[in-house]
Amino acid sequence: MFFILCRNGCIRIAFPSLILKFILFMKLVLFIIFITCMQVSASALAQQITLSEQNVSLQKILREIRKQSDVDFIVKTAQLQQSNPVTINVTKQPLDKVLEQIFQGQPVDYLVDNKTIIVLDKKAIQPSSNLPGESVKQQRVSGKVITANSEPLAGVSITEKGTTNATLTNDDGQFSLQVASTPAVLVLTYIGYVSQEVTAGTNSPLEITMQQDLASLEEVVVVGYGTAQKKDLTGSVASLQPKDFNKGTVVSPDQLIQGRASGVMVINNTGQPGGSTTVRIRGNSSIRAGNNPLFVVDGIPLSGTSARPGDGGGGYGSDDGNPLSYLNPNDIASMDILKDASATAIYGSRGANGVIIITTKRGQSGTPTMNVMASTGFSNLLNRPQVLSAEQFRQALAFYTPDDEAADHGGSVNAFDAITRTAITQNYALDVSGGNESAKYRLSAGYLNQNGIIETDRLRKFTTNLSGNFKFLESKKLGLDINILAAQNSENIAPINVGVGFEGNIISQALQWNPTLPLHDNEGELAYQSPTLINPLTSLAAYKDRSTVNTLLTSISPSYKITDELEYRLMYSLTSQTGRRTGRYIAGMINPNNINNGSAYIHNNTEMNHQLTHTLSFNKEIATSLNLNAVVGYEYLSFDTRWNAESGSGFSNLGGLDYYDYLDYAIASNRSVDSYRSPTNELQSFFARVSLNFADRYLFTGTIRRDGSTKFGENNKYANFPSIAFAWNLYNESFLRDSEHISNLKLRLGWGMTGNQEFPSGASKDRFVFSAQSITQANFGNPDLRWESSSTINAGLDFGFFRNRLSGSIDYFRKTTTDALFEQTLAQPAPGGRLWVNLDGEIINEGVELALNGNIVQNDNWNWNIGANATFLKNNVNGLLGYYETAALRGQGFSGVLGQRMVSGQPLNVWYLAIFEGIDPETGTSMYRGLDGTIGTSVDPALNKFYVNSPNPDYLLGISTDVAYKRFTLTVNMHGAFGHYLFNNTMATVLGVNNLSNRNISEEVFDTQAGESTSNSAAPSTRYLEKGDFLKLSNASLSYNIGNIGKAIRNLNISITGQNLLVFTGYTGFDPEVNTDGTQDGIPSLGIEYLPYPPARTFLLGLNFSL
Amino acid sequence: MNTFKLYSIACLLLAGLSFSCTDLDERLRSELEEGSTNVNPSDLLIGAYSALNEPYQQEQRWVLEEISTDAAMAPTRGGDWDDNGMHRAIHQHTWNADNSYMNNTFRTLLTAQFQASNVLRNNPTPQQAAEARFIRALSMYDVLNLWGMVPYREDLDNFREPPITLQPTEAIDFITSELNAILGDLPASGKAYVASQNAAKTLLMKLYLNKGSFLNRESPTFDPADMNQVITLADEITASGQYEISPPGKYFDNFAPHNDAVSTENIFTLYNEFGVRGGNIDRTWNTIAHYNMTPGGWNGWCTLSDYYDLFEEGDERLGIAYEYPADTMNNPGHRRNVGFLIGQQYNLENDQPLMARNPASQPLSFTREVTIRTSGATLETAGIRPMKYAFDYSVPSGQRNNDWVVFRYADVLLMKAEAILRGGTGTPANAMALVNSIRTNRGVAALGALTLDELLDERGRELYWEGWRRQDLIRFGKFLEPWQEKAADPGPHTLVYPIPSQQIAVNPNLEQNPGY
Repeated sequence: MFFILCRNGCIRIAFPSLILKFILFMKLVLFIIFITCMQVSASALAQQITLSEQNVSLQKILREIRKQSDVDFIVKTAQLQQSNPVTINVTKQPLDKVLEQIFQGQPVDYLVDNKTIIVLDKKAIQPSSNLPGESVKQQRVSGKVITANSEPLAGVSITEKGTTNATLTNDDGQFSLQVASTPAVLVLTYIGYVSQEVTAGTNSPLEITMQQDLASLEEVVVVGYGTAQKKDLTGSVASLQPKDFNKGTVVSPDQLIQGRASGVMVINNTGQPGGSTTVRIRGNSSIRAGNNPLFVVDGIPLSGTSARPGDGGGGYGSDDGNPLSYLNPNDIASMDILKDASATAIYGSRGANGVIIITTKRGQSGTPTMNVMASTGFSNLLNRPQVLSAEQFRQALAFYTPDDEAADHGGSVNAFDAITRTAITQNYALDVSGGNESAKYRLSAGYLNQNGIIETDRLRKFTTNLSGNFKFLESKKLGLDINILAAQNSENIAPINVGVGFEGNIISQALQWNPTLPLHDNEGELAYQSPTLINPLTSLAAYKDRSTVNTLLTSISPSYKITDELEYRLMYSLTSQTGRRTGRYIAGMINPNNINNGSAYIHNNTEMNHQLTHTLSFNKEIATSLNLNAVVGYEYLSFDTRWNAESGSGFSNLGGLDYYDYLDYAIASNRSVDSYRSPTNELQSFFARVSLNFADRYLFTGTIRRDGSTKFGENNKYANFPSIAFAWNLYNESFLRDSEHISNLKLRLGWGMTGNQEFPSGASKDRFVFSAQSITQANFGNPDLRWESSSTINAGLDFGFFRNRLSGSIDYFRKTTTDALFEQTLAQPAPGGRLWVNLDGEIINEGVELALNGNIVQNDNWNWNIGANATFLKNNVNGLLGYYETAALRGQGFSGVLGQRMVSGQPLNVWYLAIFEGIDPETGTSMYRGLDGTIGTSVDPALNKFYVNSPNPDYLLGISTDVAYKRFTLTVNMHGAFGHYLFNNTMATVLGVNNLSNRNISEEVFDTQAGESTSNSAAPSTRYLEKGDFLKLSNASLSYNIGNIGKAIRNLNISITGQNLLVFTGYTGFDPEVNTDGTQDGIPSLGIEYLPYPPARTFLLGLNFSL
Repeated sequence: MNTFKLYSIACLLLAGLSFSCTDLDERLRSELEEGSTNVNPSDLLIGAYSALNEPYQQEQRWVLEEISTDAAMAPTRGGDWDDNGMHRAIHQHTWNADNSYMNNTFRTLLTAQFQASNVLRNNPTPQQAAEARFIRALSMYDVLNLWGMVPYREDLDNFREPPITLQPTEAIDFITSELNAILGDLPASGKAYVASQNAAKTLLMKLYLNKGSFLNRESPTFDPADMNQVITLADEITASGQYEISPPGKYFDNFAPHNDAVSTENIFTLYNEFGVRGGNIDRTWNTIAHYNMTPGGWNGWCTLSDYYDLFEEGDERLGIAYEYPADTMNNPGHRRNVGFLIGQQYNLENDQPLMARNPASQPLSFTREVTIRTSGATLETAGIRPMKYAFDYSVPSGQRNNDWVVFRYADVLLMKAEAILRGGTGTPANAMALVNSIRTNRGVAALGALTLDELLDERGRELYWEGWRRQDLIRFGKFLEPWQEKAADPGPHTLVYPIPSQQIAVNPNLEQNPGY
């Protein structure tokens, strides 16, 4: 058994003896947190030590040294037990001298590698040549060990197979080893990398590339108010590092993990750069409250909202934008997804939908390093529904409306091509980091200019991030971390509003445009049809919509190590966002008769959030082989938003100025002003977590959080959220320890309660709202209102075979949500009509998650890894009284039409639609199925509806592979979802045959056999319900590592990346992943596509290097 | 070192704790809380008046009263106006308890009842209290009329307790006593958008007149005492001297922009004032106008030719070229811009004929013929479009200045005439004289005799699309008969609407009306 004394004060029991042999020589490198250890430090051995001990164990001495310096030790417990007691008395002696003294006469010796000191048996270290009496002729091999990125790897242990000849690589990755025979077989080992054997002659220096071990057991996972080693986890946590992220240009971090982790569904709601996403961890569990997971950035739990103001109504862009888009993906060091309640319960009333912890990169000590990344590329349209070409359109006219010859204008145009473009994207990022043991810093800057594929649409994003980690006092016990992130996102937003009336948005205008009618007339002016049959290019010109959001996220976190085992940390953070949105509309362009009715608006929005967290952490081996890791804390969070909006109308077009810059021109009664500030929204919490590790075999974690929230009713201010979990590291048991093939086997079992309080502030109160000169009571308070609670059980198995070349995990979970928050209809007469209540009934999400990673090929030139994850989900509602309707379907003829229900015995958001039975050839109109089973055109689709299919996928799939050949690396990521149904609302109300003769129709409906009548009306029926199954080639990247150029440029890498390359689907709309918001009465919908911003395919050329 | 350590910890803890520990008291910052002394009864009263805007001005109560009759229809035009069949169901009497018109109207009318009640417990003046009780009585009258019972809430403190249900007799008694109780505190005169004694009296007239059908919708009987109440109240309103039937050519003044100034007939209206407040009066144009007209609309609702044929040529009520104050719309061709829009429509600025949208080659000419599902060439043009309110061109966008008319003097006179015919004091000649006093000003010949059927037709002509037709047809026993695009009702249950299923689900004191 080993333990590791590491810098943050913990003692970790590590490394089972099974894998002892090749770990002995490994350096302590933990992927993320301890990356700083890798940096060169000449000063490590010069640190001054003061010791005065009589006959104490070597172990105690080492601990004392660790306290006084910042070196880490790798020690085998057994070795220390055999060591001799030490007596020492030194004052302010350099470390190397002290070490020399204490290891004098010991059966063990040590190796210094940077700041890690490895204690070993003497014979393991002494080169065989140094052994007395050796007379074999010595030969020497030399070479260099590098990573796949051609970075030198220091501290790699190199042993000649079958001998005790061994050495470590130096800081430049170079080594030289005397070998007993040639050709010698060298065994290379390094923590976090796959061990390998190399046959070496003596004639030429070797260059050996070490491959990272993707299933490394030593990954450090951020678990909320602390970190844990992956092998010590008891809960279900997916941890993703930059190497796992989706490649290419992404605006928001949630897109980095799309398809990369089991149980996590990320849908881009729109193709708009910076557009919103839907993120679901293990399905939906709420009817009314929010379903998005909690995002925590560097310890700051976010509000989940953005200060980006909403649209000005009408024809402006309506997507809400992504609240995380201010983060620079290049700054992200890891994303840890806490999935089960035993992992998320530490976040209490906000943990029910899972937690995604984003950790940004930190400075590394050493000489300053600058990393530069640049990429540029272009995007174009991935897919769209096919409408008729001019030629087909003429055929359709001849078939459907032979009497109307005037509809053929003689031309041939493709209006969709006219509004879309090949859009250029540029993305630059630069970071500088450095420092020394007492002060580390990292400074980064990013610039993204992403043009949308719709003309005029653009996102520009500037980000800067400064982080510093300082240690004070001679003892280095006082620490201070600071982090400042500033960002500006500015957008030119295309007028794509899904709430538009029958005149549509530019997407429907382009799809419906008569393909025989040129978009420009003979004078080159935009062709005009009517105020309601609008040229999409006119819409683009008439609407201007700009948004700018400035974000400042700052945190300061002092800490003090009270004793070796006990550390206190304070964290204060301030998140401040201001958003401004301006829009104008030139009336005369759309309607030449209405030239003096331009309008404009300005919306301002600010969000100011404070956080204060105190934590006290304790780590100690409290008994032999029993390690205790505990944290207790207090947290205060406050969220404050306010907005104001101004608008004016009645503008004529004055010199091309933007109306919103001179609103005062509008007559006073044509201007309006509104303002609002949210009620106080505060959370006060106490939390504790205890982790016990016995002999590295039996792990226990228990957490509890007590949350108080201003939102909860008077009678329910506080709530407790407990969890417990056990894990059993089977592979450390004696019966498996010596297994050749099994390198990891862990069983996990957990239970926990988490909450959801994502409902509006003020819901528990009687409230009176203001409107024009009047007051009305808007809400009836419910003082008993409480959080929605989910209890989850999770059982999982982690496994690794063949030295973890095949590894993975399987998890079963069952999450039962009760006390669902809902805004219930009040028995009238009553105010506003609604009352926030906790509903009876439960929502059950049940599923199995599977993740597999395999290293298929690994040799000198080739390295091939494949990873796959799958999630099988089932979702059901039980015991709900009555039903609740949602999913607002849109378009002409669909006013007030809802497509989904929340009802007992069905999945959440089950489709509730008429069943389409084809077109009656007699009348050309739709036939539907009656509740009594009759089929015919007389069956009223409004009165004969059925529960048909679910918009929730049955299973999700993610596949990734990377192949490296010499300096080439190819990475391919795919993801898909299956078993769900989507409502193609675009087809239903925008592209039907009744558009003829003046507007275009879908290729799908042009069917001379069916003979559909142009007066056949669309109804919300299964005719437009399509299977949503898809598999997407989400990204592929080919990179070539050029390596170092001269002395200045290091590690130059070029790459070509394609994003959203292909989608395999039977779905006929824009994109099976689009999710147009159809929220009704606050109940979210899922699986509607209506006139979305079209999806883009992107190709990028990128390069990065370091200085 | 130890002192430093202690000092550091102390500092950190103090810095930390100074921010910590909140009592989690939730404070509202853009809203007021129950118990706040700042909840001003006059503001609440405006809120109560405004609560009537949604049921009245936003195609809710109106649809249930008019689309369900021979006066109006919302045809499905190809794919448009299908909307899950909810409009067709109203016209064809095939509605069910899930129809969203039911739920919305029920909810908004009863919310108005609540908002009015809420004024009463916030220290109103006697007049404010009386106005609020009038609003409450009006909304309760409407619910009684539509659903045959009235949920009523006395305890405004606990909305988790279901309200009681007033059966027709109780509801009639309650509304009657309320209206009589407040008469003394209501103003005798003033703007029509402030509840007055005359407004309360008109509502009382409606209550007495319809009492018989509220108590027995299938075969109403009318108590002469009630009819005499109607006559007495009408006479009191006339005696107040505030109203006269609009002179010839001024019928549409009652609905025109600034009708609060120009109407001589309006007794109770809902206030709409640009830049001040109001309801969604735009819907009155949006729901009927074609896309290419100004005002533009959604090309929807229409009347039926049989109803149109109730009118004779020359009846001013059929429509005129309404003359606006200068500079708002020149209408060079002097085209009809209010009333029943039929035949070719014109651009009112340049007098060019308007064309349909699809196909654009077709003239925009509204036809007499219309079916509940229209298709083919007349998809956009089928149906005559009544436009009773003259569009307010002076407002570029936002609140138009036409107040929504609830009660009108012509209705008072027609109700009195009906009460006489139904057994109240007076002769048929007295009744006919009342009707003729109106007809003369509308440019049509006086009637030589007056039967109840003729009176119903006259009500149809005078009060078309004002939201009373269903009530009238029930009272005259004609609501179950077939008419254009509607078959005879399968049973009498349609005389009241079904109680919305969402309300039944949350209120155990509600029992679904028979037949649903």
